[in-house]
Amino acid sequence: MAAPAEGASPALDELELVQRVRAGDREAFAVLVERYAEQAFAVAYGFLQHVEDAEDLVHDAFIRALERIDSLTPGSGFGAWFYRVVVNAALNRRKYISRRRTDDVPVTAAALDSPAADSERAQLRARLARALSSLPAELETIVILHDLEGFTHPEIARVLEIPEGTCRSHLSRARRMLRDLLKEYQPRS
Amino acid sequence: MAHSDDDRRLEELDLLRAPTRGEAARRSARERVLASAELPLARRRHVSSSWEVLAAWGRPGLVAASIVLAILAGTLQPWREWRDETQPVALSEVLRGAGASDAIPEMLVALAEPDADAVVAAALTERNGNGAGVPDDFEQR
Repeated sequence: MAAPAEGASPALDELELVQRVRAGDREAFAVLVERYAEQAFAVAYGFLQHVEDAEDLVHDAFIRALERIDSLTPGSGFGAWFYRVVVNAALNRRKYISRRRTDDVPVTAAALDSPAADSERAQLRARLARALSSLPAELETIVILHDLEGFTHPEIARVLEIPEGTCRSHLSRARRMLRDLLKEYQPRS
Repeated sequence: MAHSDDDRRLEELDLLRAPTRGEAARRSARERVLASAELPLARRRHVSSSWEVLAAWGRPGLVAASIVLAILAGTLQPWREWRDETQPVALSEVLRGAGASDAIPEMLVALAEPDADAVVAAALTERNGNGAGVPDDFEQR
């Protein structure tokens, strides 16, 4: 998993932190938030392409994780489990957003929030977001975790609970599909 | 067959990276999470302390219950022995007990059919007194 955020206490054993959170220890929970919030935000943003939506999602994911922390099996890492919560929440949130919208504008393109310097760049970004969200959920997740956020294959395998080899082959397939989709979404000049 | 391009990430994907947030925005997001976590954490502390209280009371309670059980077992043993001992019972008690119910008293149960002649003789003896003769109308009856 990505390195713990600066300012966190990596020395503290994660298993012990989880035990303390189960007993309601605020400080232990704060350490976990400090450690995973930034990376979780980046992952959520990869799916939603919207700062506020991504922040809300990470907030909800932490609370959900806190409520369900008893289901975390002893010995399995909090990080992989928490990122799985984030990924599932992001996929659900996007489904909800796309159902809520009635216009024909692709969700991710409409949700772009940072002003691009030039319209060409903004268009490319919209096309990329659209192509990425058109991939099957597992392939999209692998691209976001690997190509956007720098997770390694073993880390992704733990998050998605799939074999490492499957993760590698999915990534190749996802990249091929992305290239094809980008060509397809190329504006006709 | 995998294309060589499949091994390279798309450089354009960098456009989809999350914007870098300032320290103030990060802190604010963390504080928001921690504020919302207060209630679930407090609930967990409460549950946790309830178990501790229960355990703290439970341990001496268990010891006390064991002691009471041991005392009870010690008291019951001589009583059970006394109860199991065979007590002498008067015959009249047994007959009275049997008579109270519909059962035929054990003392009156015969092992063989009674001898009819003996019964008649006994009846006559009882009616006429010992040594009395047979009544005159005996044959007519």
